[in-house]
Amino acid sequence: MKKLILVALLALTPLAAQVDEKVEVPYVDFPIKMGKEFATVQGQCLMCHSFGYIINQGPQSRKHWKHVIKKMVVAFKAPISDKDAKIVEDYLVEHYGNGK
Amino acid sequence: MQRREFFKKAALTAGAVGLGITTSEAGETHQPIDNRKVSKHTFPEKRPLITYSDRPPLLETPRDVFTSVLTPNDQFFVRWHMPDIPTHIDPDTYTVKINGLVDQELNISLNDLKTKFEQVEVTAVLQCGGNSRSAFTPIAGGIQWGNGAMGCATWKGVRLSDILAKAGLKKDAEWIGFNGSEKVAYYETPNFIRELEISELDDHVILAYEMNGEDLPYLNGYPLRLVIPGNYSDSWVKMLSNITVTNKYRSLFFMDVAYRVPDNDCECEDPEKRVKKTKPITKMNVKSIIGYPTTGTELNNKSHVVVRGLAWDDGHGIQDVMISTDNGKTWDKALLDDGKLGRYAYRAFRFAYKPNTYGEVTIMSKAINKLGDEQPLAKDIKWNHGGYKFNGVDEVKVKIV
Repeated sequence: MKKLILVALLALTPLAAQVDEKVEVPYVDFPIKMGKEFATVQGQCLMCHSFGYIINQGPQSRKHWKHVIKKMVVAFKAPISDKDAKIVEDYLVEHYGNGK
Repeated sequence: MQRREFFKKAALTAGAVGLGITTSEAGETHQPIDNRKVSKHTFPEKRPLITYSDRPPLLETPRDVFTSVLTPNDQFFVRWHMPDIPTHIDPDTYTVKINGLVDQELNISLNDLKTKFEQVEVTAVLQCGGNSRSAFTPIAGGIQWGNGAMGCATWKGVRLSDILAKAGLKKDAEWIGFNGSEKVAYYETPNFIRELEISELDDHVILAYEMNGEDLPYLNGYPLRLVIPGNYSDSWVKMLSNITVTNKYRSLFFMDVAYRVPDNDCECEDPEKRVKKTKPITKMNVKSIIGYPTTGTELNNKSHVVVRGLAWDDGHGIQDVMISTDNGKTWDKALLDDGKLGRYAYRAFRFAYKPNTYGEVTIMSKAINKLGDEQPLAKDIKWNHGGYKFNGVDEVKVKIV
């Protein structure tokens, strides 16, 4: 009987995932540039995505960053106030701008 | 160029985005950023890969992996859209739901999928529409991918058409929405749903639970994902939870705004004057990549080098891959593999190269498909706002010593 149960269990094993427990996605400390109003940027951006998303867009124009923030608010429904949106925009332009 | 200068330049290029500088002239499309280093962080079931973000995870495969047709699961690129992805799924209780305009609503368990339907396999390239985005100037919006936001695997699963037949489509069924299990941070944020018109789905579209003979890795959509051979990966919904059949196209962010190119012949636009009418990126264009040697490799003069790489398109099939080692003045045919993994798979190519000079040499690869479409030079590719569909002739710069 014991043997039978074992066989039954073995037959089921292909169903189990390779990793049969909660997986852990590592935290990566992306080197965001620090500056005035960093707390606002951290609070608003980090809710949904890592700083890697900002750094790896490359330097961009004010128009671009403004558009990105608008996308977060309009398309992704991030509850960012107009005041904070402007703060984040200025921060991104200052630290990740392309001079345009 | 002196050896030291050469490597200095290569290193600079690799770090360009991180350092916030561009190395190219404004306005001209160039080679994507190459030779980025893999991260010291390892993600679940993955070897260290080039890491752009941890939340959501965005991981790129290094160039030197692209010498064999099948990309190992643990080196396969990763791209999610939402911050929270389920980190544990119980395969015994997981079901995929089919509802909407069907005769019979279904909740299919993994076990039923594996035992109650015909099991099929397809080998197909999975490539992000924004792969190689870093080629564009001005910098296009989005993650500045190099060439490795892609891979090719043998996917095993069940035909979507078999599942829809089992559920029974109502007469007015026209659209199918696919919903994955990734979670948004705010309640109102739109889910990652893709919609496809029934007429564009064929028997090659499958729900896959296996990748290269193993369960899908979590980060590639365990336990079930949509596979749409020939199409860019934005519609290959991961962790598939729901399939809804409708008679009307639903307006969705990821359909109407993201993953679209200008609806004109060149699929291009002026950065200052964007084209209003756009279309989805859908089918992949013809492209190739050199997996060996990579930029910065030192090769001995008069040695016998075998250049290796891969070529693919949307399933029309690769006709030829041409190689140049004299900056595009002359081109010679590479040898192609037997292509037995099918028309949606990578075709591996190899090319015997014996250097007869010293210094820097650029090796270029250009694929041509069975329609006669060939890869343009990077500089001839015009800009689009999302930086999608770059397929410029590939280049690596080696040093002959």
